[in-house]
Amino acid sequence: MTALLSIQQVTKVFGGLTAVDSVDLDIAERSITSLIGPNGAGKTTLFNCMTGLHRPEGGEILFSGRSLIGLRPDEIIDRGVARTYQNIRLFGRMTALENVLVGQHLRLQASHWSAVLRTSRQQAEERAAREFGRELLDFVGLSGREEVVSTNLPYGDQRLLEVARALGSRPSLLLLDEPAAGMNPSETDSMMDLVHRLRDEKGITVFLIEHDMKVVMSISESVAVLDYGEKIAEGTPEEVRSNARVIEAYLGPEVAVQEAAVKAVH
Amino acid sequence: MPLETATGAVRTGLIAFAFLSYLILIGIPGRIGGPALPVLALIAALFFWLKLRRESNEPSREATGQRQDSFDDKPGWEIGPRAASKGSRLRDLLHTHSGTAPILYGLLAGLTTGLLIAIVSGIFAAAMGNGIAIQPVLDKIVPLNVAALIGVSPGQIAQSDVSFIRFIFQVLLFAGAGVLAGLTAAGGGYGLKQAAFLDRLTTHLSGATLTSAGRFAGMALPFVLLAYIAWLGLPGVTAFGTNEGTVRLLLTLIATGSGLFTLRLSRPGREQMAVAVLLGLGVFSMPFILDQFQNSVMGLVFIFVMMGLGLNIVVGYAGLLDLGYVAFFAIGAYTYAFLSAPFSSPYISGLLILLGISPESPLLGYWMALPVAMLTAAVGGILLGIPVLRLRGDYLAIVTLGFGEIIRLFMLNLGELTNGPRGILEISQPALFGHTPVDVTFGLLSSQGWIFLLALVSSALVAFVATRLNESRLGRAWFAMQEDEDVAEATGVHLVRTKLLAFAIGATFAGMAGQLYAARQINIFPENFSLFVSIDALALIIVGGIGSPAGIVLGALALKGLPEVLRGVDEYRIVTFAALLVIMMIVRPDGILPSARRRIQSPDPEEAGAAGEPELREEDPGLRENGEALAKGAGVREEDP
Repeated sequence: MTALLSIQQVTKVFGGLTAVDSVDLDIAERSITSLIGPNGAGKTTLFNCMTGLHRPEGGEILFSGRSLIGLRPDEIIDRGVARTYQNIRLFGRMTALENVLVGQHLRLQASHWSAVLRTSRQQAEERAAREFGRELLDFVGLSGREEVVSTNLPYGDQRLLEVARALGSRPSLLLLDEPAAGMNPSETDSMMDLVHRLRDEKGITVFLIEHDMKVVMSISESVAVLDYGEKIAEGTPEEVRSNARVIEAYLGPEVAVQEAAVKAVH
Repeated sequence: MPLETATGAVRTGLIAFAFLSYLILIGIPGRIGGPALPVLALIAALFFWLKLRRESNEPSREATGQRQDSFDDKPGWEIGPRAASKGSRLRDLLHTHSGTAPILYGLLAGLTTGLLIAIVSGIFAAAMGNGIAIQPVLDKIVPLNVAALIGVSPGQIAQSDVSFIRFIFQVLLFAGAGVLAGLTAAGGGYGLKQAAFLDRLTTHLSGATLTSAGRFAGMALPFVLLAYIAWLGLPGVTAFGTNEGTVRLLLTLIATGSGLFTLRLSRPGREQMAVAVLLGLGVFSMPFILDQFQNSVMGLVFIFVMMGLGLNIVVGYAGLLDLGYVAFFAIGAYTYAFLSAPFSSPYISGLLILLGISPESPLLGYWMALPVAMLTAAVGGILLGIPVLRLRGDYLAIVTLGFGEIIRLFMLNLGELTNGPRGILEISQPALFGHTPVDVTFGLLSSQGWIFLLALVSSALVAFVATRLNESRLGRAWFAMQEDEDVAEATGVHLVRTKLLAFAIGATFAGMAGQLYAARQINIFPENFSLFVSIDALALIIVGGIGSPAGIVLGALALKGLPEVLRGVDEYRIVTFAALLVIMMIVRPDGILPSARRRIQSPDPEEAGAAGEPELREEDPGLRENGEALAKGAGVREEDP
């Protein structure tokens, strides 16, 4: 398997705080990878570096072999890296379908003149965009809610809509920032199912940040752990679960020592 | 009638009185003359009716007594086809509901208003009759107004020669207005015996319910007004004595405004098409039937409509607060002035003589100069846009404010190039097939009428382009940028291009408006392009409703047209106008006719319906829109005088 995304020695500093410290990470094509870590570990900052919101001080991010560093966010999504947000950031006053249409913005070609004249080509493109938008809403499970204004959607549906909007740009890598945060168990299940279907049906590589360990352990093929901006572990869910540094980061050094002691006794 | 309802009615009466005294203060009765009192009573009746209607909409404790729970479906007040389908529900209500509450309510409210007006006008009349000087500042308008109210000539007031009967008549008129309002409200919803004849009448007229009768009446209004305006224009016909010109102007403003509501009231489809065509014909006939003064005011109004539509792209669609919009207006005006006025800067005339062109003769006519003015303004828009790309909100507002002033100061101080404060004079007029419009139309179209016609056509064009753009992917990108700039960029919107396009297109429209303005003014000076033009343009889109072209037309009518109607009361003009703005923004914070998107966010519980039940909106957008438009239509017509 080739690496679709390759993060090399990426460092991001805010003032005196090193939010991301020389992180190396490879994401294989058509894989589902999770990024975990305690609050403030630098996970979202890493996402922001990948999508052009922040410019890292050092390191290199290669996507399909080409550097993403220094590109604008709209150029990065054009390359095929789309994302969702930890705190939902939909275009609140737009309907669900309009949100997905904005997602498709950079895939639409019609000139603005043709929009004024409503040429048949522009109309056909708009129709196709709407059709594709409906398909995507259907895909994430929001069929029938096309015309609902997005702030009026239930919380779980808003998260799904963010995914649909990201899919509008036909990405090959999708970054999900805590997709299951604040969801109830059944919504979480359908989100997990969606993540699987993204990979299996659409062939999209998924890289997600998640706090819900049940989600992480059951859907990820590999897991990376950040703590204080450093990558402290990487591997399959099982490997990471038993890693002493990970336990220490999550539960504190004392617990880690006790666990080690318990292991030693056995 | 419970005590609660009685106090409610008195309160309604008080509010109506406050509103009417405001109209009196700004000199409306004096302006209308003889029929002032019936007109005010009609306004009051409309007000009472709205109030009663609103109460019957809410499951109200006042007018409906104990039967709150049966009222959750708001029956009987939908407009259009749905109202008819609700017939059976209505009939149920007719049986369950009886009581004279609305009529008593209306009567009490009307009595309160009438009594208060009688007392106040009586006090004024008595004071003036006894030679007591009313505060000098009020002097100019009060006698006229008071006289008009009690239906006598100002001289009679001075002699204290007003019979008591007249005051009684005043009270009765308002009481009658209240009863009428009560009956009308009852006719649709309460099923009173007394209202039966109204019901029958409206059924006969419209074949359905009162609401459809109201709908047809609303739709007929602009046409009736237009016909009346045309009739007033005939030689020898006068109305309301001396102020005919202003009255006609006021009616023109109302006709144009109500036309927009008519369009919204009509059923989508063939009916709307027909109404649109008729309205178009009506509006485009206005330049031919109005006189120079009215045409020049309407021309200015529609020049500002163009400005508003352009600024709306920047502020309403893209969400970039631009306080220096006048800059592009000035660029358009001066570009045309350079190209068409005899004035030529010494720098350029040398060059022109070298090329063998007389610097005195206009370089380009109006039509040839149009693309040049638009292009120059667009370049100006981009030049402003580039430095402010990274600014947001307040910072953007301040920088654009500065830009507007820079352009004005340029015009003022670059004397050699722009003739400085002396301005550019004798700008040539737009031709019609190479002739002056007066010649071509055999005097039917005056020079100002021609400007008005051009402004109308350009506004229509600008509105068309703006709406189409807003409905395209560019419009979505603008709106996304307004909602969340970072996310929009991360979703694939090219921020630089999208912002610059907004600035450039907005500036282009302002340039068009500026060129027409220069042609209208004939002579332009730097002080024509002060900060206040920007503020006016911004205020009119906020008052009208950001993002909605129809709202912008209404805003321009209210902001640029009304002050001209109020010219007679110069001292109060600006105060009145400012007060109107304040009240307006409190009552309708989203503007007179907000765009659908703005409405979604509205905190107004009445309108929350649109946001709270999106599924309903999906079923039949036309109906809901129509209903809201009627409610607004009535409200606005009430505010307009």
